[in-house]
Amino acid sequence: MTAVIEARGLTKNYRATRALDGVTFSVEAGRIVGLIGPNGAGKTTALKAILGLTSFDGTLRVLGLDPRTERDQLMREVCFIADVAVLPRWMRVSQALDFVAGVHPRFDRAIAENFLSKTDIRMTSRVRELSKGMVTQLHLALVLAIDARLLVLDEPTLGLDLLYRRNFYDTLLNDYFDKERTILLTTHQVEEVENLFTDVIFINHGQVALCAAVEDLSSRYQQLTLAAEQAAHARELQPFYEREIFGRVAMYFEGRSAAELGAFGELRTPTIADLFVAKMQGTGRP
Amino acid sequence: MNTTLADSAPDRPRSVAAPAAKRPGEILLTLVRRELWEHRALWLAPLVVAALLALVAIIGRVHIEMDDAPDLSSESQRVALFSIVQWVLAMPLYIVIIFVGSFYLLDCLYAERKDRSILFWKSLPVSDGLTVCSKLLVGLVVVPFGVFALALLAHLVFTAILGARVALGSLPPVLTWSSYEWLRTEAVMLLATFFAVLWYAPIAGYLLLVSAWVRRAPILWATLPFVLGPVLEWVAFGTRYLLGFIDYRVNGIWGILGVGHLDIVSKHGPHHTVGTALAVLDFRGALTSIDLWLGLAATAALTYAATRIRRYRDDT
Repeated sequence: MTAVIEARGLTKNYRATRALDGVTFSVEAGRIVGLIGPNGAGKTTALKAILGLTSFDGTLRVLGLDPRTERDQLMREVCFIADVAVLPRWMRVSQALDFVAGVHPRFDRAIAENFLSKTDIRMTSRVRELSKGMVTQLHLALVLAIDARLLVLDEPTLGLDLLYRRNFYDTLLNDYFDKERTILLTTHQVEEVENLFTDVIFINHGQVALCAAVEDLSSRYQQLTLAAEQAAHARELQPFYEREIFGRVAMYFEGRSAAELGAFGELRTPTIADLFVAKMQGTGRP
Repeated sequence: MNTTLADSAPDRPRSVAAPAAKRPGEILLTLVRRELWEHRALWLAPLVVAALLALVAIIGRVHIEMDDAPDLSSESQRVALFSIVQWVLAMPLYIVIIFVGSFYLLDCLYAERKDRSILFWKSLPVSDGLTVCSKLLVGLVVVPFGVFALALLAHLVFTAILGARVALGSLPPVLTWSSYEWLRTEAVMLLATFFAVLWYAPIAGYLLLVSAWVRRAPILWATLPFVLGPVLEWVAFGTRYLLGFIDYRVNGIWGILGVGHLDIVSKHGPHHTVGTALAVLDFRGALTSIDLWLGLAATAALTYAATRIRRYRDDT
């Protein structure tokens, strides 16, 4: 099975700032990959490179194609929903369906209409008359109706209320995702979707800080919670990050066994959100 | 241990029947429709003008009873006037569309970045080349020849209303319908539209390039070089070559066609029918003009440049 995305040494400079600095990772089919990083880490730039929206140095193959020169071919099998609704505001819902049906060989209009019939969106409405949540629903309806292999989502639920967010991800999982489809997702609301991910890529300062399958995290990372008095001993095992909560200390270790750590206190696998904070804040610490 | 919902994802069989691609013709048709959805002024503005012309026909008064009025007792004069009215009626439509069309070309590749919809357009399997071509097609073919057809219809409506008023006796019979001259005038207008499109094509290409290129103020960037350039040349060298060049690219085609040799309207009113232009104008000379073909080559180059620029343009 060849990789859906194969990035090697991805580098991109915006004048003085380096947005991507030798980013290397690969994504395989049937995965839901979380691309997670602080603001300005290079997430959106990486997504734009994958979608053929920006130039870059390095090698990048998406579904075996070069996004720089073969974007139009690539987009037959790739769908994209961006952080803010990018559907043109002047467009009517029916025109959006007409347009995608007119240019996309893999669009099944009946699926989109069926999905829209379950929402409050009317065919004659213009996009500018819809609420933010409805615009995202409309975009989702278009994407669900396209038989694509890779779906790229850049903060798709930003600014939506909890009901829309929950609906969005439920629909993705129930009506879209299968073993041959891949979803690449960036979001700030990591806690909300972390049980969706099969893989995570942490990106910081334009570099990959972590790239791992979720099932491997438990054998690689440990979170140890212990009383502050015992912290000095545990610290000798070199946690890469620690923080104090209510007089207890949480320490994060990489590559330590349960046997080494178990004696100090309570041991568990960190959540993705905790691990992300630890990785981002702990970089450079002993 | 983290569990992932994705592990229980179904193993759906993929539809293999889906075609690999749409035909370029079908995509192009969809793209052209899209332009007319978004830029409604392209057809609304000419329609409004055509409606105003019809209104003029309904309520307008004819003030032919001037001192130097043409001798309308002669049938040939009435036919000549008929063809001239046919020509003059089309002018407001063409003038409106020159403005609306220019703004359209200057706006189309800029607006999609400003409202970020470029991210949506680019998420679909449509090449940058086809997208830019669709906009050029709208600006140079769909709109000009659409206006030609609209002018034809508007004139027929105008003439029908006028005919009804003459029959009712509320207007004197100043125009005489001639199917032969009607057809010849339409032929002149179709040829004029055709040569205008070919001659002004590089301007359309230039507007597209500016539209794809600039990050703000496209109107300023589009016009500034043509204002500053001649001024700087005049200040620096005291010459006016650039001004001459601009003038030539704007008016040159009419000189090449030999519009100056026309003798349609004289001081005393209509002289000859518009159709006489078919014999007077040098269409063959215009079609073989090297400057016309150089302009078309420049159009191709400018359009290609706009396409290349759009390739790496996102919403920034």
